Amino acid sequence: MTRKTLAAVLALLMTLALLLTACSGSGGGTASPSPATSTAAATPEATPAATPEAAAPADGAGTAAIEVTDQTGKLVTLSAPAAKVIALTPAMNEIINALGSFDIIVGRGEYCDYPAAILNIPSVGSGDNTNIEQIIALNPDLVVMATMAQTTEQAAQLEAAGIAVYSSDAASVAETYDSIEQIGALIGKTAEAEALIASMKATFAELSQNKLSGSIYFEISPLEWGLWTAGTGSFMNEIADIIGLTNVFADVGAWAEVSEEQVIERNPDYIMSITMYYGEGPTPVEEILSRAAWADITAVKNAAILNLPDNELSRPGPRLVDGAKALYDFVKNAQAS
Amino acid sequence: MLKPAKRREGFHPLVYLLFSAVTLVVFVFCVAVGSVSVPLSELRTSMIITGVRLPRVICCALAGASLSVCGCAMQGLLKNPLADASTLGVSAGAGLGAVTAIAFGITLPGLPFAGTTVFASLFAFVSLLAILTLAYSIDRTLATNTIILIGVIFSMFVSALMSILITFAGEKANHMIFWTMGSLSGSSYNNVLLLAGTLLVFGGVLTALSRELNAFAIGEENARHIGVNVKRVKLLVLIATSVLIGVCVSIGGTIAFVGLVTPHMVRMLTGPNHKRLMPASLFGGAVLLMLCDLVSRTMFSPRELPIGVVTSLVGAVLFVRIFYASRRAK
Amino acid sequence: MTALLDVKNITVRYGSLTLLDDVSFTLNEGEWLMVCGPNGAGKSTLVGAITQGVPHSGETLYRGKNLKNVKPSETAKYIGVLQQSNSVGYAFSVEEVIRLGRYAHSRGFFAGRGQSGEDDETLVSAAIAKVGLEPFLKQSIMTLSGGELQRTFLAQVFAQNPQILILDEPTNHLDLVYQQRTFELIRGWLTEAPGRAVISVVHDLNLAKAYGTSALLLNRGKTVAHGNPAAALSAASLQTVYEMDVYKWMHTMLSQWED
Repeated sequence: MTRKTLAAVLALLMTLALLLTACSGSGGGTASPSPATSTAAATPEATPAATPEAAAPADGAGTAAIEVTDQTGKLVTLSAPAAKVIALTPAMNEIINALGSFDIIVGRGEYCDYPAAILNIPSVGSGDNTNIEQIIALNPDLVVMATMAQTTEQAAQLEAAGIAVYSSDAASVAETYDSIEQIGALIGKTAEAEALIASMKATFAELSQNKLSGSIYFEISPLEWGLWTAGTGSFMNEIADIIGLTNVFADVGAWAEVSEEQVIERNPDYIMSITMYYGEGPTPVEEILSRAAWADITAVKNAAILNLPDNELSRPGPRLVDGAKALYDFVKNAQAS
Repeated sequence: MLKPAKRREGFHPLVYLLFSAVTLVVFVFCVAVGSVSVPLSELRTSMIITGVRLPRVICCALAGASLSVCGCAMQGLLKNPLADASTLGVSAGAGLGAVTAIAFGITLPGLPFAGTTVFASLFAFVSLLAILTLAYSIDRTLATNTIILIGVIFSMFVSALMSILITFAGEKANHMIFWTMGSLSGSSYNNVLLLAGTLLVFGGVLTALSRELNAFAIGEENARHIGVNVKRVKLLVLIATSVLIGVCVSIGGTIAFVGLVTPHMVRMLTGPNHKRLMPASLFGGAVLLMLCDLVSRTMFSPRELPIGVVTSLVGAVLFVRIFYASRRAK
Repeated sequence: MTALLDVKNITVRYGSLTLLDDVSFTLNEGEWLMVCGPNGAGKSTLVGAITQGVPHSGETLYRGKNLKNVKPSETAKYIGVLQQSNSVGYAFSVEEVIRLGRYAHSRGFFAGRGQSGEDDETLVSAAIAKVGLEPFLKQSIMTLSGGELQRTFLAQVFAQNPQILILDEPTNHLDLVYQQRTFELIRGWLTEAPGRAVISVVHDLNLAKAYGTSALLLNRGKTVAHGNPAAALSAASLQTVYEMDVYKWMHTMLSQWED
């Protein structure tokens, strides 16, 4: 009996260790190498008005016209701004689109869905199911991907085929700015990137000027499937911070399954759910309002529940500001009424 | 001449009283302890207790009892101590049923969860039929190795089917993936009623078949020779276990190994006679799953571990032990 | 003599294989029928068909009742079977196994819930005493020797109290002493009450001749001879079935033991 108990405890400890490493891996931007400094050298920050082409000769002592160190610390070189690009994550596509270069996208990752026109571009899969052969067949100048979904082996395969690969590891708003800047440099849209970042910064500054107050609980999956929430290291948590809300689960890692009791105990003023609605049964908001045990939670009493299923607050791209604005407006309205 | 002494194969009523007392103590303990500490004085008024913890602990007790009784019945029927919903792949089959119901949006009007529950039970039954047909046609004696091998193959097959479903599920994929991870959190009093009802009916059927299960556990041929209606008993056991497993899976996901571990531990105390094994497993399973759930709720609070992780950790170690012992016995 | 069992035109096919081909015989009260034949003759298949465990055409009548239309629990009251061997999986006690012999007689909701009938107790005790297993009652069947295990199941079938006992090579793997003891026990059972009969599947032709009151010789699913042992197991019929001079061989074997 004691041997069995010991074995069980050991196994539990191993699980704990795994969980801890997983948390530190995804928890916050501290783990990623500091790419901003090296990028600053590659992109002439001092000349915001410069045309995209001007970026190339400024640094072009060797054969390479464009050099960017990506967020994994790898040097990406292109002889000219990429004219055919495949972006594997939704955020990357949205960045390229926001920089006005939608027409250079020749392939997309499986889950890219914004803007809607992206769905007409062939999918090359993503994650473990990325079709490397198809990517090579599409003959792009550049593939942009995220370390979260793709492996270094996949990147190496593409590079061996002579395709430049840029990898993003953005886990914070600041790192998102960096990847916008770096992608801008690679596709010859440095000025547009600067403008986009400036506008995002302006929006965030505006939102944080008139700070909100109160606490919020982010619901990633509904009760039926176990409550998953976004804690420290997630965009939701960071944006709550920026607009002045307190995430009730700031003490857990980026993604965690939490106890229902804790949600009730922590009594959030607002709830934001990203559950999708398929048009059958109660809507996500109605479902949360109908949870008998949640009746005493402030957010439920005031019906201060926002359903925002559009991934705006989880993709490290330009629409982060839209999500932040939507959340801000919702809380502002709820406070006003 | 003395009348022959009255004989009892089952437990004395006092033993049942003892079992109930132990279960009740564990139950109260599990309700009193949780990730949020509630003062004793507020135990009866706190929403956290009455709305969250109480239905969940009851669900755990009922699911644990159901799965354990199923494990007992299958281990007796197949004369194989390693038979269990999870090792045979029946849970995987039930999960496929539930995911199918989600993928095609199958619901029964007016009854939430009914679509997944009915489909999970149906698929569990078909899985059991498929597994047993395969097993019998390969090896009539249903040797341990055959059963385990078929369970592994069947589970792989089912998980492949599930991957295909999820691949083509489009935007519902996320929900299906979350579903397969399973969770007892959010257990409602509706779930309690559903679990209690099925346990009462189908757990009752299985317990009433204790004597027949004894005969099967000694040998199916021998059972037939002493007059057991083997076909009827097999069918009854298959139906009852399918419904119980289907309901448990549709409410809590795959809670592996409970049906394997409980009968094994209980058998060490009561011996193999199902007249004692079945009721003891009922209580044992309830206690075991309530405690596993307590660990999953409190160990990493405010985080929660999926309960299947806790039961699998305990179960996998024990599985190896039983398998090793059964190999050595040969 | 009264016919206890009428076996009529039993045929068993498995795909294109014919395992039993139109076998018929009558079993009378007090008869001990020895079913003989080489491997693959269909001996065990015949037992399976009679006990309704193997799909077949033809019929088996017990005192005029077609067993195809009788519930398993009813059949078990007429016919008991001692199998060739029983592998054990769980540590049931000797007593638990023997008591299960009463299954067909005490079914229903209250059966075995502390209210076993006196009939059950008497028969179980008698069966235990008959095979001499009293010291082993609480012992796990996993710890028994092959002979003790066989006696446990013999006691079970005695407790079952059928009218016909079918033995499917029950002593094949047992040593001489156990073989002899088992056959004596069965002879005792056969003669202690009227209206009983035994069917034995045997390999050992010596045992067949020593204990049988009749014999059925099968070969490749067909009846070769049926009648009293001396006639059915004649030199000529054995010669055709085994394709060797069985009588000569038996004599040679025996002559070794003469001084």
